[in-house]
Amino acid sequence: MRCDHCANDAPDGVFCTRCGAHQGKTAEVGNARTRRHSYAAHPGEHVVQPSVFTTLFPHLGERKVHEFRWAFAVGVAGILILYIAGLITAAILVATFLVPVLYLIYLYEAQVYRDEPATVLGFTIGGGAVLGLVFTLVERVAYDPLPSVGNPLRGAAIDVGTLLFLGLLVPVVQEALKPLPALFMPNRADFPETVDGLVFGIAAGLGFSVAESLVTFSGAITGLPAHLTPGNWIFDLATIAVFQPLLQATTTGMIVATVWRFRRGRLARREVGGVATAVLAHVAFAIGTLLMKDALLNPLFILVWQAVVVGGVLIYVRYVLHHALLEEAAHMGFAETVCPNCHMNIVASGFCPNCGMALTAAPASVKRARKPRAAKA
Amino acid sequence: MALTCAHCGAQNPDGNLYCQSCGSPLAAPPAAAAPPSPPPGPPGFVGPPPGVAPPVAGPTGYQAPTGYQSPYYAPAAPVAPVHRTPWMLILAAVVALTILMAGCGTALAILGSRSTANNTGPGVGTELPSPTPGVTPTPIASPTSAPLGATTESNDGVSVKVPAQWSVANKDVESITLSDPNSEGTVTVASGPSSPPQSAQNNKNTVDTELKTRYPDARNCPNTTTTTTSFNGATGISWTMCFTLTQGGHSLPAAASLFAGANSTGSVYYAVLVLTRQDNLPAFLVKAKPVLQSVQWKLT
Repeated sequence: MRCDHCANDAPDGVFCTRCGAHQGKTAEVGNARTRRHSYAAHPGEHVVQPSVFTTLFPHLGERKVHEFRWAFAVGVAGILILYIAGLITAAILVATFLVPVLYLIYLYEAQVYRDEPATVLGFTIGGGAVLGLVFTLVERVAYDPLPSVGNPLRGAAIDVGTLLFLGLLVPVVQEALKPLPALFMPNRADFPETVDGLVFGIAAGLGFSVAESLVTFSGAITGLPAHLTPGNWIFDLATIAVFQPLLQATTTGMIVATVWRFRRGRLARREVGGVATAVLAHVAFAIGTLLMKDALLNPLFILVWQAVVVGGVLIYVRYVLHHALLEEAAHMGFAETVCPNCHMNIVASGFCPNCGMALTAAPASVKRARKPRAAKA
Repeated sequence: MALTCAHCGAQNPDGNLYCQSCGSPLAAPPAAAAPPSPPPGPPGFVGPPPGVAPPVAGPTGYQAPTGYQSPYYAPAAPVAPVHRTPWMLILAAVVALTILMAGCGTALAILGSRSTANNTGPGVGTELPSPTPGVTPTPIASPTSAPLGATTESNDGVSVKVPAQWSVANKDVESITLSDPNSEGTVTVASGPSSPPQSAQNNKNTVDTELKTRYPDARNCPNTTTTTTSFNGATGISWTMCFTLTQGGHSLPAAASLFAGANSTGSVYYAVLVLTRQDNLPAFLVKAKPVLQSVQWKLT
């Protein structure tokens, strides 16, 4: 067939395997070329959908994503059980490690690091953890929380200095530091795709998040009794287990993905906006949390605020990744391969002609197994 | 010949009776029958032109009609699995993480509690003393009380002397917070008008509610009591709260010795908060005693 949009000859299919454009009449679902109705890493979803797993785990196929969702749900259930049992210290530890451990399994599953797991994992998760450890220790030295507890009968206690330090300076410096391990990875040239940069940034952010949570909650881990009345710990646990790691992961992933795009000479307003969005989102997350805690609002509102901020960053990450995949998958040659999303045996270039998945986001094992084949004239 | 599942569209090796993807029964298409349709595309998909076979996995060497390029192929040999990690292994990893961390966390908490118990001696809770001005604190070898300096901090509701090397951490029209030089703790004194009038018990309830909202585990410290007392001429209630103070890279197990009072009509409130680490409260109360003794309420 001849693609409706790039005019190249391509095997017949719902999507052009060369440019990824949706074939035929798509007016009712959106623009065929930019196909926002069909996210390039998981074509069954809209780009503007705050889905955690299909954004942060872009190499997973449809079924595998569900397995990771279930595993995450099991981990959350474990935290809930520990919380109800009053084992808060244990719950804090599980919450700290849940998402990073899932991500390690994902990296193994997708083989993003290909033949160099030690270098990649060391410079992303390991480097992020070291930076998180050092930064949070410095933050502890610089900030004393005791004076922040003021007049117990007049509520609001936070002063402007604390707000600027914890709400502005700390997030901005964190955003400047967290991408460094991924950016200085010695073998970064072997991983030119934006989706690689995104995954490395997410891994570095999660490493940072683990160290930050461990240092921050070291006092509670060693100081709380083994069993105590659960109280309101569930809100802090939700932040430690879900929103904090997701924020650190998405913002770092966004910044590293932008640098990857810059290295490919593809920096546009969309990517620059991504960096600004990442920094602003982190500042908004921190300041909003501080102010709402200070105003003695119900902790549920704080979680809602954190979820809104994280959801916004997730959508922007999908937006950047979607367009990067549409551009970068177009260079791939024809080959026999298996689509990791719909599991069809396909003859394809950059996109699955059946479901439209960008094949640059396929796991490394699938990419290795591609059997090159010349396109029919 | 690969078998395409009519239910989910997944391709299965020849000989499979059930789809390895969704478990639906598979039936090999009769030779003469029309090939099955491809998986449904999204809305708007235009299928192959009339008379042209739809995409379907065929045997190797399958010749498509002229003008039609099938996007599918039939693998000559079994294709390596796309995924490496069985779902059971992923779940097992998360369950193992939960069990391991639960064990580590419980062990750390038990060890930490033992260590804290050894450090604090008789117990963490020591109620805020009711210092009477002019009375010399009970001599204790260590720690020593802070010597009072020459400066006095004052606002509309209260005045307090600042010991040498202590600093004013916060100050507004109703409250003053002093911080000790080693950042061991703070002393906050506050007084102001209450509108509508509040009794000492009401003020205590307000403080309890605030601490319980602000901190996840605010509770009365073990082995402490709540007493009705007077503090430098103000009558009220003294008690001790324990909670975890989480902010700025810290999660500090903190203890606050508190006093909440009111005048006879309830139009004025008095509040004192001595805040430090849970294992340091008795020592810090001794250190802060001269500060507490110097408090003078301005509103009656």
